[in-house]
Amino acid sequence: MPSQEPPRRRVPGPARPARPRPASAGARSARPAPRPGTRRPAPRPPARKPRTIKLGSPRPRLRLISVGLTLVMLVFVGRLLQVQAVHADAYAAKAAAYRYQEYTLSAERGEITDRNGIALASSVDAYDITADPKLFTPEESKVPDAPEQAAALLAPLLGKEPAEIAKKLRTPKSRYTLLARKQTPQVWNQIRDLKRVYGQKAQEPGGTKVNLLGGILSEPSSKRVYPNGELAAGILGYVNAEGRGAGGVESMLDGELAGKDGKIRFTQSNGRQVPTAGSQGTPAVPGSDVELTIDRDIQWAAQRAITEQVRKSKADRGYVIVQDTRTGEVLAMANAPGFDPNDLSAANSASMGNAALQDAYEPGSTSKVMSMAAVLEEGKAAPDTHVVVPNRLHRGDRLFKDDVDHITWYLTLNGVLAKSSNIGTILATGQLGATQAESNRILDSYLRKFGIGSPTGLDYPGETSGILAKPEKWSTSQQYTIPFGQGLSVNAMQAASVYSTIANGGVRVEPSLVRGTKGPDGRFTPAPEPAKTRVVSEKTARTLAEMLESVVDDREGTGTRAAIPGYRVAGKTGTANRVDPELGRYKGYTASFAGFAPADAPRVTVYCAIQNPTKGSYFGGQICGPIYKKVMEFALKTLHVAPTGREAPRLPVTFDPTP
Amino acid sequence: MSPAKGPLKGRAARLGRLMPSGPSSAARTPFVLLVVVLLGGGLISLLLLNSALNQGSFKLRELKDRTTELTDEEQALQRDVDAHAAPDALERAARRLGMVPGGSPAFLGPDGKVLGVPSAAPSPEPSPTPVPAPPTEPPAAPPATSVAGTDPAPTDQLQQQSALDTSVAGTDPARTDAASEADPAAGTAADTTASGATVPPTTLPTTSGR
Repeated sequence: MPSQEPPRRRVPGPARPARPRPASAGARSARPAPRPGTRRPAPRPPARKPRTIKLGSPRPRLRLISVGLTLVMLVFVGRLLQVQAVHADAYAAKAAAYRYQEYTLSAERGEITDRNGIALASSVDAYDITADPKLFTPEESKVPDAPEQAAALLAPLLGKEPAEIAKKLRTPKSRYTLLARKQTPQVWNQIRDLKRVYGQKAQEPGGTKVNLLGGILSEPSSKRVYPNGELAAGILGYVNAEGRGAGGVESMLDGELAGKDGKIRFTQSNGRQVPTAGSQGTPAVPGSDVELTIDRDIQWAAQRAITEQVRKSKADRGYVIVQDTRTGEVLAMANAPGFDPNDLSAANSASMGNAALQDAYEPGSTSKVMSMAAVLEEGKAAPDTHVVVPNRLHRGDRLFKDDVDHITWYLTLNGVLAKSSNIGTILATGQLGATQAESNRILDSYLRKFGIGSPTGLDYPGETSGILAKPEKWSTSQQYTIPFGQGLSVNAMQAASVYSTIANGGVRVEPSLVRGTKGPDGRFTPAPEPAKTRVVSEKTARTLAEMLESVVDDREGTGTRAAIPGYRVAGKTGTANRVDPELGRYKGYTASFAGFAPADAPRVTVYCAIQNPTKGSYFGGQICGPIYKKVMEFALKTLHVAPTGREAPRLPVTFDPTP
Repeated sequence: MSPAKGPLKGRAARLGRLMPSGPSSAARTPFVLLVVVLLGGGLISLLLLNSALNQGSFKLRELKDRTTELTDEEQALQRDVDAHAAPDALERAARRLGMVPGGSPAFLGPDGKVLGVPSAAPSPEPSPTPVPAPPTEPPAAPPATSVAGTDPAPTDQLQQQSALDTSVAGTDPARTDAASEADPAAGTAADTTASGATVPPTTLPTTSGR
C-alpha cells in the first residue's frame, strides 16, 4: 500500500474535500477503496475549517504499532517455544495425566502347599469396608441418628460392636474411615444388597430421598488365608498388613511368593475407559507356589501330641520334628503353643516364631549318642566294652553324678547309653585322646561334623546355630559336661538331624523344608539337592542303631515307653538341666526324646523336646517317650512302613564283675 | 454491485471462462450421489463400529463382573471344603462316627503273614456330649473290625481307610493302590486345591483390574 500511495495522502485533511477525488478515483480503478462510504458521511463541521491542524507524521505511529505487534508476536513465539520445545515434556506429561488413568494390577501371591499339594496358605479376594462420615451427618442424611442406625445394620455383618462403628461414622470433618479390614466378598455382597434395599426405600413416596447406607463403600484387597488354622503356623509364618511376608516361610521365600505387580493404562473420560482408544500396560506376574516337604497329616499328629503334652505338663513350650532319614526332608515341625495366623491380633507374640529352629537349649543326654559315635568310630571301645560306673566321679572342679543315685554299676558301653549314665560317658570319652585336650578336640570335630554349632542349612529366618565353643576354650567343667550334652546349645532341628545321620548310615543329609517351587507357567522347579557329608562309617552307624535299640527295648533302658509293638525302635531319652533365659542360671529341665524306626531299615526320625515341664514327671522317657510313640506310629502308618520282622540283637547292658 | 450485472470484464471474465458452461448438470448427479453415499456410508459404518466397540466394552465389563462373582463363589466353596477337610475337622467327624485312634500298625502280607503286632482298638469312650446317636454307633464299629480281619484295630481316625487298605495289601503294587485310594477326603482336598491354583492366574487381571 505505501508503494502505491504516498502515506501522507492516506489521511486526507478535512479542509480539502474536492482535491483528493481525482487521485482517489484513479486509485479506485485499480483497486476499490475498502470503505468509501464510511469516510464520506463524516465531513467535519464547517466551524473547524479555518483551523488547519498539522497532523503528525504517521510513520512513528506505524512504527509504534509494528513494534508493539512485534513485541506481542515475540511474546507469543517465546511462549510457543516454551510450551513446544523447552517444557514440552512437562506439558505432555500433564496432558497425559489428565487423559490417561493408570492402575496397578496387584500380583497374586503364590500358595504354600504341603508335599501332597494341599494348600497350607493361599490368597483370596477380600474387601476393606470403608465409609464417608460426611454422608452420615444430620444435614446430609436428613436423619438425626444416621450413624447409629447404620451401625445397628452393619454390626452383625461385620462382627463388631455397633457403638464402635457408630463412633467411626461420627468422625467429624472427615470423608474417609475404615470400618473393617479384609472382609469376604460375601459380606460385601450382603452390605450391597442392604444398600440397594435402603436406596429403593428412600426413593419411595414419603421416603427421605437419601439412602441411609449410601456412605458405605468398599475397596478391593486381598487376604491371606491359612485353611488349616494353627496347623504348621510356626513354619508358614504370616504376612503383614501390606500382604508381604513377615515371618517364617512367608518371609523366607517372599521374593518367589510375591510375584510382580503389573500396570494398566487407558484413555479415560470422566473416569471411564474410552473403549476405542485402547489400553496398554504390563500384566501382573503371579507369584510362584511353594511346595514344602511337610506332610499335613503327620504335622497334625505331631502338633496335636505336643500341644496336649505341653498343656498337661504345664511346660513353657515343646517341639516335635519328624524327618525322612533318607532324604533329609522335614515331614513335620510342630511347636506348642502355636498361634492362628488367620487372627494375629489374638496371637501371643512369644509363640509366633518357629521355636523349633529359633530356640537354642542344652540338649542333655540325647547328645550322648555323638560321644558314643566318636568313641566307636575312633575304635577306642566296642558296645560290649566294660565300664565300671561309680556312684560319684570327681573331674575338674566338680563332682559328677548320674540321674539316679546308684551303687557301682557294671555296665557295658551299650549299657552306659541305655541307662544314660553321665559318669560312664565321661569315662568313655576320656579314652578319645591321650590327653584331655586331645580328647576335647576329637570330640569337638565329631560334634561339628554332626552339624552342631552351624546353621542347619534351611536358611530359615531367625534360625539359631546353637552354641558350641572352640575346644581350646572349653572350661574345666565344660570338657566333662559336653560329652553328656550340657554346656553346649542346639536347636531342635540340629538335634533331630544327628539321629537322622545315624539312621542314614552315617551320612548327614542337610535338612530341607522346601521341595520346590511351581512358577506361574506351571513348571515345577525342584529345590537344590541337599548337601551330603559322611560323619561316621556305616558300621559305626549300624552299631549305634543297635545300641539305641537297647534304650527302648531293654528292661533297664530309659525309653521303654517309646516302644512300638512289632517294630524295632531306636531312641534315646534326654533330661537336661535347663538354662532359664531370664535368670541366666540352671532352673527346671528340658525333657527330650529322639529316635528313628525301623531300627534296621530306618525311614523316619522323630525328635521331641519339652521345655520346663512343671507338672508331673520331667523325665524325657516319661513325657516325650509317649509323644515319640504316638507320632512315630502315625508317621509309619501314613508312609506305609511295615515292620522288618527281624529279631532285635539285644546287646548286653551289664556284665558280671566277678572274674 | 453494478459490475456483476453486466458482461464480465477483466479478471472476472477470465475466471468465468474457467467454469464449465453448457448442459453438463445431468452428468453431475451420479457423482454427487456417489460422494453422498460414500460419506454417509462411511459415517454410518464408523458409527456402527463405534457402537460395536462400546457394546464390546459393556460386555467386557459384564463378563468381568461375572468372573469376579464366580471367583468369589469358588473361593467361598473352597473355604467350606477346607473347613471340612482340615485334619481337626476330620478327626471330630470320625469320632462322631464312633471311631477311635488305632494302635500300632500291623500289616498283612499276600502270603498271609502278619507283620507287626495287631491289637484290639480301645472301645470309644462315651463322649460327654451325646453327639452320636446310640443306635448308629454299634453298626459303625463292627464293619471296621470285620473288614480288617487280622488287624481288628480300626486304626487311626484319619488314616482309617489307608491303614485298612494297607493291612490287607502289604505288597508294593497294592500299596500304591492303597496310597491313591487312601484318605478320600484328603484326596478331594488336594484336587480342589489344584483346580483352585490353576484358575486364579486367568482370573487375576480381571479381578484386580475392576
